Amino acid sequence: MSTLLTLVAQGLRQGLRDKTVILFGFVVPLVLMFVFNLVFGDTDEREFEPLTVAVGAQAGDQMVGVVTDVLGDLDSETLDVTVVEVDPDESRAMVADGDAGLAIVFPDNFGGAAQMGTPTTVDVRRGEDAGVEADVVLSVVDGILQQFGDAATTARAGLAEGLDAEQLAQVAQASVEGAGYAIEEGQADDQQLSAGGALVAGQAGLFLLFTVSFGVTALLVERENGTLARLRSLPLPAWQITTAKALVSFLTGMLSTGVLLTAGGFLFGASFGSLIPVALLVASVAAAATSVMFLIARVARTSEQAGVATSIVSIVLGVGGGAFFPISAAGALAGVLDLNPVAALLRGLGITSAGGGVADIGVPVAIMLGFAVVMLLVSRLVPDRGAMA
Amino acid sequence: MTSTPDDVLVVDHLVRRFGDFTAVDDVSFRIAPGETYGLLGPNGAGKTTAISVIAGLLKADGGSVTIAGETMRPDAVSVKRHIGLVPQDLALYPDLSARENLVFFAKLYGLRGKELASRVDEVLETIGLADRAKDLSKEYSGGMKRRLNIGVGLLHRPTLLILDEPTVGVDPQSRNSILEAVEALSGEGMAVLYTTHYMEEAERLCDRIGIIDTGQLRAEGTRDELIRLTGGTDTIRLGGRVDTTGQEEAARSMRTLHGVERVDADRHSLSLTVHDAPTLVAEVVRMAAEAGMKLTDVEISRPDLESVFLHVTGKALRD
Repeated sequence: MSTLLTLVAQGLRQGLRDKTVILFGFVVPLVLMFVFNLVFGDTDEREFEPLTVAVGAQAGDQMVGVVTDVLGDLDSETLDVTVVEVDPDESRAMVADGDAGLAIVFPDNFGGAAQMGTPTTVDVRRGEDAGVEADVVLSVVDGILQQFGDAATTARAGLAEGLDAEQLAQVAQASVEGAGYAIEEGQADDQQLSAGGALVAGQAGLFLLFTVSFGVTALLVERENGTLARLRSLPLPAWQITTAKALVSFLTGMLSTGVLLTAGGFLFGASFGSLIPVALLVASVAAAATSVMFLIARVARTSEQAGVATSIVSIVLGVGGGAFFPISAAGALAGVLDLNPVAALLRGLGITSAGGGVADIGVPVAIMLGFAVVMLLVSRLVPDRGAMA
Repeated sequence: MTSTPDDVLVVDHLVRRFGDFTAVDDVSFRIAPGETYGLLGPNGAGKTTAISVIAGLLKADGGSVTIAGETMRPDAVSVKRHIGLVPQDLALYPDLSARENLVFFAKLYGLRGKELASRVDEVLETIGLADRAKDLSKEYSGGMKRRLNIGVGLLHRPTLLILDEPTVGVDPQSRNSILEAVEALSGEGMAVLYTTHYMEEAERLCDRIGIIDTGQLRAEGTRDELIRLTGGTDTIRLGGRVDTTGQEEAARSMRTLHGVERVDADRHSLSLTVHDAPTLVAEVVRMAAEAGMKLTDVEISRPDLESVFLHVTGKALRD
């Protein structure tokens, strides 16, 4: 066992002295993360502009009051909405003058028409500078009006069924109160990484494949340098030579990915969750990446061939796994994409970043380890043309 | 082939094929303790393949290799403790210093602690790199790299040192240094298997020599035993001026000497085919002088391994 440790220590020392390993394992991915973050990284940080909504309606209309109350509730830390109730003409004038971004003008007797389910029109005016904030308000108003329509329909159905006036009033009131809206901050999917987090994780996953390749293709380099023959003439089992290279690849990959996730997370404000589940994910993806490199070392005749094959495999798995941008597919292709260890890493980090623990990352870990097992089996089956021949 | 229980290496009817090509074809030889055995043959003769099988890098397709009583196979571990391999190609880590290279391989040979440190220092002295031990090996000259390459094979004091063409591409000074180191190791009792296509190296270093060509061991023995295969005669050539009568008189008297097989004369010289020229040359010169020859030069030619190789293979060693 001490000879195995000697071989591993030697491999790590060579790796750390190899400027290419440092460059591809740490420097290039960090630089790329920085560049990509400058280009794409502000999508999470959009802030809504303040919006003044001028509501023009007949005074005392209770249904309009419901709408203005709901719009008033939209005002929060995220959405800055100010609702002013004015007469219809003034509301249009405010938009025209730029004093309001949005005017919503209700017709006279809007409340009565809404209660009866009579068709009516609400006039909306957008200001020239109204942005997505106005769209949000309008979608809320649209929802409220839909609720009013549903309530009127419900009331008519009740009337047809012979409900008395008190019962009808309760049903209609329930429908209207059900139209309450509230906005809560949160993520669309609590298992998705933020844009910055996805960028950091994707680049870490992509360059992991390059980093681990240095350990395994070192077998080919050693054969070309003659040191592999010398090692095989020494009194140590042949499996220790191969295992040492695998361990060097695995450890270098873990170190590189760990550093990139930590540094990238710090630089771009991304959090990946608790240490233990993240470490388990990193170890699993490093194992998967190492297994691919063993297959390459088996079929490549020279270190140059191995380098080209590594680049192709890394780009395919990296892009397919969403290292640069999310990839979606349907059917069988979607299933294949799901088996990509880089995609599994990103999915796993999404779970851990949302607070998931070891028990929650079973699927991505199983995908990565399964991938590693399959690659190792395949590497044993293909004819050996490379370093292990 | 006769082997004894004390033999360090016994190669018995060894065969190694690559597809239809037989690289080593029924080769047998042995090496006794302290003996230096040379495998002499041209490039492509099968020397390196034979060594690869002997060192456990390749599996034999037939026959066997026994080292210190243990059978060598690629997956054998303990038997490899007996050998130190110095491959033909440099097998060093260029980004490590000489000391770091030696320490790494010494650890793999199982050396630890003070034993490791002292043995590394000894080897650095032996190969003459003690003062450059901290320099990266990629900064060394070709000769220094060759010496370090040999040093790695010496670390664990192997019973059998296998050197595969260790002087290829080396300057004359480093070459001499390497040959001196091999002579010293042999003097210490280490068995050495030495492959080369330089006959002068084989003549200088080897107690016994095997002549290998097209994968077959064509002849084997000491230098003198091999020379005898060619008929074993030397040539003495006397150059100078003499009249015809004197020349005939000299030739007649020389033919009476024991060991002289033939005397040929031309206008300016006499050429004698003899056994053991060094013991006859003084008497031959005296006879020439008595016959009135005014000698301008005396040249002795003895058969060498080149002649032997030509004799047993029908082609020159350098072909």
